[in-house]
Amino acid sequence: MQEQKSATLIQRIADMQEQEAISLAREMLDQGYDPIALLGHCREAMEIVGARYEKGEYFLPELMLAGEVLSAIGSLAKPLVQQRSLSMRDAGTVVIGTVHGDLHDIGKNIVTFMLDINGYNVVDLGIDVPVESFIASIREHKPQVVGLSGFLTVAFGSMKETIDAIAAAGFRDGLKIMIGGGQVDETVRNFTGADAFGLNAMEAISLCKGWIKG
Amino acid sequence: MPIPDLIIVGDRINPGFKSTNALIENEDIAGLQALAVRQVQAGAHYLDVTIGQRGSDDPQFLGEVIKALQDAVEVPLCFDYPNLAVQETCLKAYDPAKAGGRKPIVNSLAETRMEMLELLKIRPFEAVIMASEYLDGGVPKPARRCEDVAGVARRLSDVLIRDHGFAAREIFVDITINSLVSDTRGLTRMALDAIRQIRRDPALRGVHVIGGLTNIGNMLPPLEIDGVRLRHIMESAFLTVAIPLGFDTVMGTPWNPFVILPADDVVLQTFKEVTELTGMDAIRRLRKLWAT
Repeated sequence: MQEQKSATLIQRIADMQEQEAISLAREMLDQGYDPIALLGHCREAMEIVGARYEKGEYFLPELMLAGEVLSAIGSLAKPLVQQRSLSMRDAGTVVIGTVHGDLHDIGKNIVTFMLDINGYNVVDLGIDVPVESFIASIREHKPQVVGLSGFLTVAFGSMKETIDAIAAAGFRDGLKIMIGGGQVDETVRNFTGADAFGLNAMEAISLCKGWIKG
Repeated sequence: MPIPDLIIVGDRINPGFKSTNALIENEDIAGLQALAVRQVQAGAHYLDVTIGQRGSDDPQFLGEVIKALQDAVEVPLCFDYPNLAVQETCLKAYDPAKAGGRKPIVNSLAETRMEMLELLKIRPFEAVIMASEYLDGGVPKPARRCEDVAGVARRLSDVLIRDHGFAAREIFVDITINSLVSDTRGLTRMALDAIRQIRRDPALRGVHVIGGLTNIGNMLPPLEIDGVRLRHIMESAFLTVAIPLGFDTVMGTPWNPFVILPADDVVLQTFKEVTELTGMDAIRRLRKLWAT
């Protein structure tokens, strides 16, 4: 019975049935379903969404809507996991934000969510983040990975500026930097001086897993 | 229906287009000239020119490109750099005689960079003024309300016309067009409202209103409707709504099919409804175009 519900939940998220997915998640949690397992289903659903995006069946709006469903379900489930999960959050620390000059946060929010449910301690600085905020956060949280997000082409200049400033502050050698956003590629990675780029949240997870070995 | 009197500034000489970036990296001057000719043949009245970072690093190459473009086409050029030093290179390389005596366009001036007016010492020019940022008590702010956009347009135009002898028709107010696919903040609605407000201001009578049209369709699904790419139909949808409000100059790709769409066109309907919405509701409405 529960297995059936889990499969339905994954399918509804993956098929963009937003309200149906959220109400089913609420129902499952109300009936005492393990919130960590539920977040795991969100991750599975997001992998399906990502695969459909890769195949050209889904586009940016589907990623945005899936991100919205994820955050709605996340806000239902997270209060229930807090006590238990704090102890297992040792996969590593990631500081993430949308660089200054850019206000887009959909992709970043999905990456934050996915890192979060994969056990990373994520410090999300939000959008239009000044260089100094990244530096201050790195000083405070000592992350292994920094994620810079940006959708606009003007963001590439801000990414470079941010990475240069991280280097000037003496933190560059001690951490890995990944960039992401709709239009990043190897040319942009090279221009900004990042260690890697990713085109979706799954790539962000595998980059972090590769860099932070347990 | 094609659009009479629409001014087109061809936007292809920009490394943001991957094929153009390759021409710049390979220093393929003949290829850049062919791209210029193709745009003019497709109806461009001006050509926007930027070779990206290379322009700041290698002014000599930028100068060569400009001279070569002017050898190939007779339309005036529009130099796309927010930077005084690079604009100097551009204006010095530009020869009005090769453009029938016409002035180039400096793209762009902004309230945050009025030092660009020093360029008038080199030669007279027409100007794009960027209305997407303004100074609030000396602090740069992004213009998020249509009053901000119309206000900065008015202040900058006043300075150009009153203090520097510009004619109104030599001013192009850039209202900034954003990508519709991620417009959860009603920025497209704001741009449309700003066009209306600019046209109601008698002090701005005669100025042009320009926008980077290619942005509107950025990241839309690569779908086709009746053989036309969705992003191109969306460009026409913007024009269909914006031209009656007073938009008159496209920064865009001249061979895209700019047309006024019939009232019952499904993309036009979608555009109108999406621009009345904000947040994820805008995205959900847009998605109805292809999802059932």
